[in-house]
Order: sequence, then structure tokens, then C-alpha cells
Amino acid sequence: MGNVQILLRQHVGAPCQAIVKAGDVVKKGTKIATPAGLGANIFSSVYGVVEEVLEDRIVIKPDEEQKDEFVPIEVPDENDKLALVKEAGIVGMGGAGFPTGVKLGINLAETEMAELDPEINPELPAGFKLEHSYILINAAECEPGLEHNIRQIEEQCDKVVRGVKYCMEITHADKAIFAIKKKNEKAVEILRKVIADESDITIHLLPDIYPMGEERAVVRECLGVNLTTMQLPSAARSVVVNLETAAKIAEAVDEKKPCITKNLTVRGKINGGNAAHVFMDVPVGVSVGELIERAGGIDGVYGEIIMGGAFTGKSTELDAPITKTTGGILVTIEFPDLHGANVGLLVCACGGSEERMREIADKMNGKVVSVCRCKQAIENKPGAPLKCLRPGNCPGQVKNNMQFKKDKCEYIIIGNCSDCSNTVMASGPKMGLKVFHQTDHVMRTVGHALYRTLRVSKQVDQLPSGK
Amino acid sequence: MSITAETAKAHAHDPAVLCCRAEGGITIEPANLEDPAIFDDLVDSGLLNLDGCLTIEEVLGAKLAKTCDSLCPLTADVVEGAKAPSAPVEEAAEEEAPAPAVPAVSAPAAAPAAGGVLKIHIGEGKDIDLEIPVGALGGGNAVAAEVPTAAAAAAVEAAAPAAALEEKVVRTLTRKHFKITDVKRGPETKIEGTTLYIREGIEAEVIADQELVKDFHLEIITPDLYHTYSETIMDVQPIATKEGDDDIGCGVTRVLDGVVMMLTGVDEGGVQIGEFGSSEGYLDENIMWGRPGCPDKGEIFIKGNIVVQEKTNMERRGPMAAHTAFDIITQEIRDVMKKLDDSLVAETQELRQVRRPGKKKVVIVKEIMGQGAMHDNFILPVEPVGVLGARANVDLGNVPVCVSPLEVLDGCIHALTCIGPASKEMSRHYWREPLVLEALHDEEVDLCGVVFVGSPQINAEKFYVSKRVGHTVEMMDADGAFVTTEGFGNNHIDFASHIEQIGMRGIPVVGMSYCAVQGALVVGNKYMQYMVDNNKSESGIENEVLGCNTLCPEDAVRALSMLKSAMAGEAVKAAEKKWNPNVKSSNVELIEAAYGKKIALVENEQSLPMSQKRKEKYD
Repeated sequence: MGNVQILLRQHVGAPCQAIVKAGDVVKKGTKIATPAGLGANIFSSVYGVVEEVLEDRIVIKPDEEQKDEFVPIEVPDENDKLALVKEAGIVGMGGAGFPTGVKLGINLAETEMAELDPEINPELPAGFKLEHSYILINAAECEPGLEHNIRQIEEQCDKVVRGVKYCMEITHADKAIFAIKKKNEKAVEILRKVIADESDITIHLLPDIYPMGEERAVVRECLGVNLTTMQLPSAARSVVVNLETAAKIAEAVDEKKPCITKNLTVRGKINGGNAAHVFMDVPVGVSVGELIERAGGIDGVYGEIIMGGAFTGKSTELDAPITKTTGGILVTIEFPDLHGANVGLLVCACGGSEERMREIADKMNGKVVSVCRCKQAIENKPGAPLKCLRPGNCPGQVKNNMQFKKDKCEYIIIGNCSDCSNTVMASGPKMGLKVFHQTDHVMRTVGHALYRTLRVSKQVDQLPSGK
Repeated sequence: MSITAETAKAHAHDPAVLCCRAEGGITIEPANLEDPAIFDDLVDSGLLNLDGCLTIEEVLGAKLAKTCDSLCPLTADVVEGAKAPSAPVEEAAEEEAPAPAVPAVSAPAAAPAAGGVLKIHIGEGKDIDLEIPVGALGGGNAVAAEVPTAAAAAAVEAAAPAAALEEKVVRTLTRKHFKITDVKRGPETKIEGTTLYIREGIEAEVIADQELVKDFHLEIITPDLYHTYSETIMDVQPIATKEGDDDIGCGVTRVLDGVVMMLTGVDEGGVQIGEFGSSEGYLDENIMWGRPGCPDKGEIFIKGNIVVQEKTNMERRGPMAAHTAFDIITQEIRDVMKKLDDSLVAETQELRQVRRPGKKKVVIVKEIMGQGAMHDNFILPVEPVGVLGARANVDLGNVPVCVSPLEVLDGCIHALTCIGPASKEMSRHYWREPLVLEALHDEEVDLCGVVFVGSPQINAEKFYVSKRVGHTVEMMDADGAFVTTEGFGNNHIDFASHIEQIGMRGIPVVGMSYCAVQGALVVGNKYMQYMVDNNKSESGIENEVLGCNTLCPEDAVRALSMLKSAMAGEAVKAAEKKWNPNVKSSNVELIEAAYGKKIALVENEQSLPMSQKRKEKYD
């Protein structure tokens, strides 16, 4: 095992401050950094010695032998579940990384329904109110090619449901709904059995389109309420948690275990084929290269390595460490070569940022001559990440295509969701624009259909009474 | 792009086309529909066929029978429960149409709705509301529609007390014209009879005046020398001076007829001082004679060619230094003119600033360049089109500056001039500004003043100044406004914003700009309903022929007519989707028929000898 690098910023908020120094001996579960503002505690994920404390990370040389046992977390009152979640340093494991202890610090029973924007909720009557309050479990596993979330439902469903019940208890939510894609039949069957006798927990089935795991998309699918880009799920009397986060909550409460490991999927141009390699409970801080080696090693020449998913992930390097929010490591095939042709970028909230899109255009040897933004991609504050006004429901794209034509683009690269990609395809090729999707190189690598024309319905039949 | 409920209402009678894939069984909402504003282009490119397409009002709330893809026109066979169409209401269909994204040229009049009412409101404290059934006025087609305006105006005069309608002369400006038939060099600058002598060696003083001026040559271009090569023409200026201590815009101004100052220039590297084209070449092939800003055929040019320091052609200090240095010669002539005996006056002309209480009060907002480099203007110099005493528009922050119409005609703008030789307004343009003259002379309107507003470089500053324009016009209680702009491109952002700021205050506003093909507006808003295109060129382009596409009397007449129609609440047809020069000619015919007068149209570049550049680049 190579050195473990634990980043001081693995969450939304300010970087944590290291509380260890070079030479300190640490165990699994030794607290090594604490928040300096919004954040979550960070613990050592291995037994070993601190080699270096850098500005952005703590480098630990792990011992040869690694025991399973860990230093349990300590709180003044062992029955204070929220305190345990906070102390364990749990953050949103779906990728967002918002500190879970902060997110759960809400009393949903006393939370009023917020005022809804009638423009995006034409079907709801004025003054619409939700009778119940909800924990919504995000089991969409929305990024194509990743499998560790569904695997966890299949293998650790009891633990996940326990975590969900703790969330309900902490937030005083009276209902919980699992949002999971219908195509995951095995996981759905297992989940149905586990919650059969839980009167307040139901399942909402999702169609297999992107994006379904976006927080406000989960709220809309489960509750029929469209939130503005500024509204949090609490506006719909709910809290959305990823299923892996729920499992971590159960570990913190039941086992006093700190958040030191991560489940993830390694996949792509790997020796032995492009099937998913799911690794459970990987110590945080292990390098990307080490995990790729565990999966079989890179198979020859490759395009890039992505940390995260095909849509929202970023390119990374072999020596980069994984964090509490790393969900995927994807090794892609080589990029096509556009030989310096004019390229237009259609940037939206569902895919990569403009910077990421430019990087891909660059790797494809295209010359970016035009950048358009999806009409629904809202920048809440200057420089803030884009948010989609109506995730998964297209606002029309032909105007952007006309702009691309005007700017003399030969190719366009889009980062859109399934529905918007479909709209781009309705006019782009007819106008003579050759369309690439930002995820093409990943989809080709993992053998997933490319994001182009939409052929599936956005509607799926639900289970009787959600059971 | 999908539309809002508000847009859907405005486009109730336009075709309904899905913006995105929609699944069978959904209830059709505005969010499912594409913006009709872009349909023309889609139909043109064969992406859309609107045959049998239902309208937006018919499909809203109806059920989609089957799953349809993006850009699918909603026809009866895919919609269940479509509503019955209502009769299109004239105003709703045309006046609320969003601003055109294409060259905006509108007809000044359209057929009034059958059985509609022409509403006239008279302000100025009289509060007389006239409701005249349009049928009674005989308006039935587009040609006749102008007539009600005139008829209504007559009715207004009859109805209001006569005392309040008397014209009021606010101030006068006397122009004393001195005829010059010959310009020569001599030992001193002087005027003898009709001969102007310019001191030999004055060039050295021009060069010495400004550090950035590296070289200077003076040429006297008489008509027989028109076929002379020249660097790009930066400015054309009248030679005029004030008598005594008179301020610009009042008192007496002396002006030389038959001769103009012409500044041309390059930088040391030979780069022309201009942007988006330059007018270098043979003078007779590159000047649109007789445009308000240009020389008239037969005039003598005192042509100074300045060479500025390398690379300062696109900096603010380069053109400023050129203009300042060149004014040394003009000022020396002005000093001589002041001493001329009145016996040499060939003609005296009195310009009167007239207010017409009781008539529709209108204001002219002239957007001038303020981005820096040559895109600047010296405002209100001591002498007509002088330098001394003036403030640079950029230094004033481009904020609105209110001036009297006579100040405009007396050279209150020394133009450093902007992009595009064909569309820039040079100093002489203001001296003979056609819209100011037409509005001042039009007895049906009360011109209250002229507002100059600069066009800053940065968008935030553009909106800063346009908001000031909105408030300025609001506090004038104007009934109507003109917004004009020179050049094209960047300045159209504020041009659109000025119109919006005025329009949102309920004041009808006519916009005037070179548009056609190359200057097609890229911005727009719903208040840009009344647009007059200043284009004269055959192919609708910036052809680098000096002054070709600037505002001329024929444009002023159309704009006035359009504003009167707008103030009378008449509908003006929406612009056609592509630039069509016939719209202008049919408008001119309409006005000629309504007012019973002939409008002489100016010639365009086709009347000039073909230059090599034009042959290669444009025609």
C-alpha cells in the first residue's frame, strides 16, 4: 500500500485544519483534522505514521499490517444521534459533500412548506402544501456506468434502511421514500422485502434517463414539487440523502464508526474488460493509480482518467487521492481528433462546467469558436456552479444551434441531459452540425448507449402503494 | 427556447410548435412550446413546415395525443381538445410583437382593425379625449391609414383653444455666410474678397502642437483635383466662428461657404485611423457628395493629412491629438473671419428655435460614440466645431447632455467619429442635422430639445447611461421620442436599451440607425416597434463610402411620420424577417400620398465612379 493522502477539503465549505504533525502515529479513526468553518471532521483511514502535513493534505505512511478495528468516535451523550453523525465527519457521499450533520440539523415536523414558484409548478394549486415531511433517499445512481450504489442496496440493504430510520428520527420526518431506477430490478426486489413492514417507508421508481439524482429532480419525482434553483429540499419539507450516506449514518450510530472509507466503481479501459469493478470500504486517501491496479491496470493507450461520473466528474491523475465523495474512477478510450475544426460548446448545469467542456474540446483537438448556455442553466451567484431550473425537462435548444451555425461551427460538444440532448439532435444534424456529447468517450468505453436521441419514456409505472 | 405564459399570450395567434420532445397525454403548456420569433429562420432553412399548424391559443390546455419530438408543429391530428381560434386583434398581434432580431424596417401605417377606434389623447393640461371611429375617417387600407393622422391633427387644432397654440420663438441664431471661391497659400492667413489665404509654414506649428503628431501635410483640393488619392477621412468640418462673446447656439455665427476643413490620417506604420473600414482612396470615389456630414460637390477642401505616432491610431490620445493640432489652422481662419467686414456677407440666415405649446412634445436622443480611441466627441466647444472649451464625451462619463436644437446646428459637437465611414456622423453632420431641422420645422410637433448620450465601452456603463436617458425623457413629459445612433454593432446594445428605457415609460419611441444587412440588430426588446433604417447602399452594407448610410432628410421625414402614427396610437406593421429595401420605398410613397408632397431621395454609391476597393470587396 502506497502513501495515503488525506485532503483537508473533502466537503462543501472551508478546508479543515490539521491537528497532527509529521511523525505522529495514527490509527484508523484517529481524528487528524477539524473544521475551520462549515465542514466535517477528518480521520485517519489507516494505521501508520504522519509523514507530512501540507497546506491542502496530510500524507500518512501506512503500516504493513492493517487491522480492521478502529478508534470509535466519542460524544458527550451517546444517545445523541445527530452529535454522532456530526462527530463522525459524514458528508454527502453522492458527490456533493455537504456536511451531513449540518443537513440533518432541521426539524422537518415544524418546517413549513415554502411558497412555490407558480411558473414552474403550473399543475399545483396556489398555496399547495405537503401533509407529511420526508427523508428522500437518493438511490438513482444517476451517472451512467457506476454500480456501487445499487450494489450496496443489494448487499447492505438492512444497514441503509437503519440509517434512513435514524435520519427520520433526527429530523422528525414522518415518511421516507427511496428514489431508485426501475431498471435495477434485483435491488428493487430486495428493497421491497426489507421495507415490507415499514409503514412509513415507500419506493418511488425512476425512469432511466439523466439526470434523476439531482437533488431537486428527486424532490420533483417523489413529491411532484418543482423547486427553484435557490430553494433547498426543505422548501418541500424534505431532506435528500444519498443511500451510502444513510449507511454511514447507521455505522456512526450503531458502531461509533467515523467516516473513513468510500465505496466506488472503477471502470473503463482496464485489463480484463470494461465491466465495473466495485470496491466497498476503500480507505479515503488511497491513490487513483492503486485502485486502477487493483482493478487490473490500464489496458494500453487511454484518453483520460475521470474522477467521478462521466457527466459531472473531472479529469484526474494517477497519484490523486480519493476522498469521501469519490464515486467513480473511469479510464477512457482515446479522444477523436477533430484536426482543429471549429467547435461550439453547449454548456448546461447537468454536465461539465465550461472549463471542463473546453478541456474536452482541447483534448479532441477542436477550436472553440462559440459557447452557448442552456436557457435553464442558472448561475445563482456569479461564479457559482450552474443549476438547472427544471432538471431533465428541456427548454428547447434550436436557438443555440442557430447560434452555432452562425458562428461557423462544424462540430458541437454538448453536456446536456437526456431530454436536452434529444432536442439538440432534432435540429443540429439537419443544420449540418456534427454533434458530440461530453460523455461519448466514456460511453463508448463502458459500452453504454451514447446520449443522443431519447427513446424511453420519462414516465414509469409505480409499485402498488410504493411497496 | 420554451416560452413563458406572457410570451404565449403575446403570440396567441402564432403557430404552436413543440420546443422539445413531449409525451402523449400531457397537457400542453407554454413551457412545451418554441418561441415563434425564430420560426422564419427555421422555415427558411427547411427545418420547419408550418402547414396546418394550430395556433398557440388553440393548443394551450389541450392534450397531446401522441409522443412528438422537438420542433414538431402541432397539427389537429396530434392535439385533442384544441380550442376554437378567436379573431386576431390588430393591436395585440402587431404592437406587442417582440423586437425583431433582423434589420428593423417597419411600415409607418397599417390597416386599422375593422370597427376599431382611433384614440387620441391631448395632454398639455387640456385633457381632451377624442374617439373617432376609424370607419368614419375612411381608413380601410394601408395607403389610407396615414390620412387619419392628418385629419386627427386638424381636429385637434379645431377643438383646442386657439390662444394656447401660438408658436413661441425661444431664441434665434443668425448665420452670416461668406462666400469663398478660391483658397491659396500666402505669407499670412487672410481673406481678400472671396479668396482665402492660408499662411505658408503653418504646418510646422501643427506638428509642434502635439507630441503624438509626427507629420502633417496641407493640401488644397479644388474640384479639378477631386481624383486625388487620400488617406482615410477622419472628419469634415464647417469653418465657422462666433461673433463677439456669443455662445454656441445663439447670437451670430459667421461661416465660410464653398470650403470645408477635411482631416485625414494614418499612423507612422501606415495604418488608417479608423475602425470597421476606412475611406482611403481617390476622393471622388469614396465620398458620398451632399450627405449632411460630407462635402458638397464643388466645394474646396482644406485637407490636412496627419501622421500620428505608431499604434496610437487605436488609442484615445492619437485621434485626439490629430483633431486638436488640426484646429490650429481652423482657429487661425476663425480669427481672420471675426475681422471681416459685414459688406462681404453674401447671405444672412435666421434659425429659430420654436416651441409649439399644445402640439405633441417630442425629444431627439442622439447616441454618439464614447468608447474611446476615435470613438469620442468633443461637446460644446467655444467655437463651432472647435476644440477649446469642449469636454470630451468619454470624460463626461457618457451621461446624457441636454442641448438646444440650435446648439446642435451651431456645431456643439466636434466629432472624433466612429466606426464605419458610411455610417459615422462627422462634425458637419450636426451642423446640418436633418432630423433636428425637420422636427424644428414640422408644425405638427413641439421639439423640446436634443439629448446627446455617449455609448460607453462596457455593458454595465451602457445601462448606467441608458437609465439616465429614461429618467431624462420622463421628466420632460415628452409625448414621443426619437433615438438615433451612428455606426453599428457594440453601440446597438445601448441603442436598444435607450429605446427600452423610454418605451417602458409609455412614451412611443422611433429608433433610427443604419441596419440593413451588415448592421442588422443583434439585440432587441418589445419597445423597438418603430424603426427607421438609414441605409442607402444598394446591397445594404457598410461600403466604406463616406457618409453613405447616414441619416438624411428622407429618413427624418419617415421617422417623423412614424412617430406621429405611433403617438396617435396607430398600429405599425412588424418588420419583415429579412432586410427589404422596398419597405422604405413604399413608406415614402405612403407619406407622399398622405401629405401631398414629393420626397426627394438621395443618391447612393452607385452614382460614384467605381473604385478598385468597391469592385473587389463589395459590388
